[in-house]
Amino acid sequence: MSESRLEVFLARIYVDQTAREQFLADPRGEAMRAGLAAQEIEQVVNIDRDGLELFAHSLGHKRARKHGNQKNQHA
Amino acid sequence: MSADRFGLGWRPRLAAGILANLDRIDIVEVIADDYFRAPRHERRALQTLAAQTPVTLHGVSLGLASAVPVETRRLDDMARLCSEVAPEFWSEHLAFVRGGGIEIGHLAAPPRTEATIEGALANLARAKQIVGIAPQVENVATLIDPPGSDRDEASWLAAIVRNSESRLLLDLHNLHANAVNFNFAAKGFLARIPVERIATIHLAGGKWIGRNGAQRLLDDHLHDVPDPVYELLEEVAARAPQPLTVILERDGNFPSIESLLVQLDRARQAVAGGRARTPHLHRHEVAA
Repeated sequence: MSESRLEVFLARIYVDQTAREQFLADPRGEAMRAGLAAQEIEQVVNIDRDGLELFAHSLGHKRARKHGNQKNQHA
Repeated sequence: MSADRFGLGWRPRLAAGILANLDRIDIVEVIADDYFRAPRHERRALQTLAAQTPVTLHGVSLGLASAVPVETRRLDDMARLCSEVAPEFWSEHLAFVRGGGIEIGHLAAPPRTEATIEGALANLARAKQIVGIAPQVENVATLIDPPGSDRDEASWLAAIVRNSESRLLLDLHNLHANAVNFNFAAKGFLARIPVERIATIHLAGGKWIGRNGAQRLLDDHLHDVPDPVYELLEEVAARAPQPLTVILERDGNFPSIESLLVQLDRARQAVAGGRARTPHLHRHEVAA
């Protein structure tokens, strides 16, 4: 189930700012500590950093809108 | 007369406008998740709506495109609602939305690999088994090039649609956004997917966002449908021989209902324009 380990890893760096900052500071080390397979480590080391920051930022805005009691924010 | 249909996404803020204009709206798409835990009177109201006008149910949280099986209780919720409402069809996104107990809070594009294709196919088979009807499956927009992918979106999506019973809900703003964000030709994408399996089209708008100099188009459903999306709609209508259901989605920053109906009229014109380009594919409409 290496693939699901990758999904867990991605969910964490998308949502958790501390995890994301640790990953961006040491991508290979964090990927290895997460137990990703060798090929997956190479892929996440070369992650689309701009996209990661923008996606994480948009998630933060989305959560803020939801907490602002706006129902029906769907993708 | 064409069998193509044009409708709106049901939102509480649009309800009065939709109900007052059912002569210009062929079908209504309802967010299923809003009703899974809704009180009985709200579910009854949805049943009443479905008795008045064609309704489809749209899921946003199953997380079908994952190497991990969708939880049975989530499929049971959808099955129960489908049983109560008897929608024309139901749909869900090809996304992953959680991992290791962490809810992402949005539709994330999964790693495009053989493992997520197989996972999605297994989830779709279970969805059909539990709900009784296979869902239509929707392509998602992404701001990040999905990490861990070993193939592009068109080949990944085509593999799932060709190897499942599900038909495709093609979101043209998601396609447009991914094309401009990751520098591929949206019309070339259409040439690589099974257009004959497209049943439904989503239209929406978005806005450009930036950070540290990087710019990406965000699919936010808060803006009007842009011109390139209508052009893609015409292209799909030209290529697809089958009738299409076209749904306009708007989640906030609501304009007047008339403004949304004008956008639906423009969608009708785009489909008619596409059909006119390839009359040999659409003889059934002339005969109807």
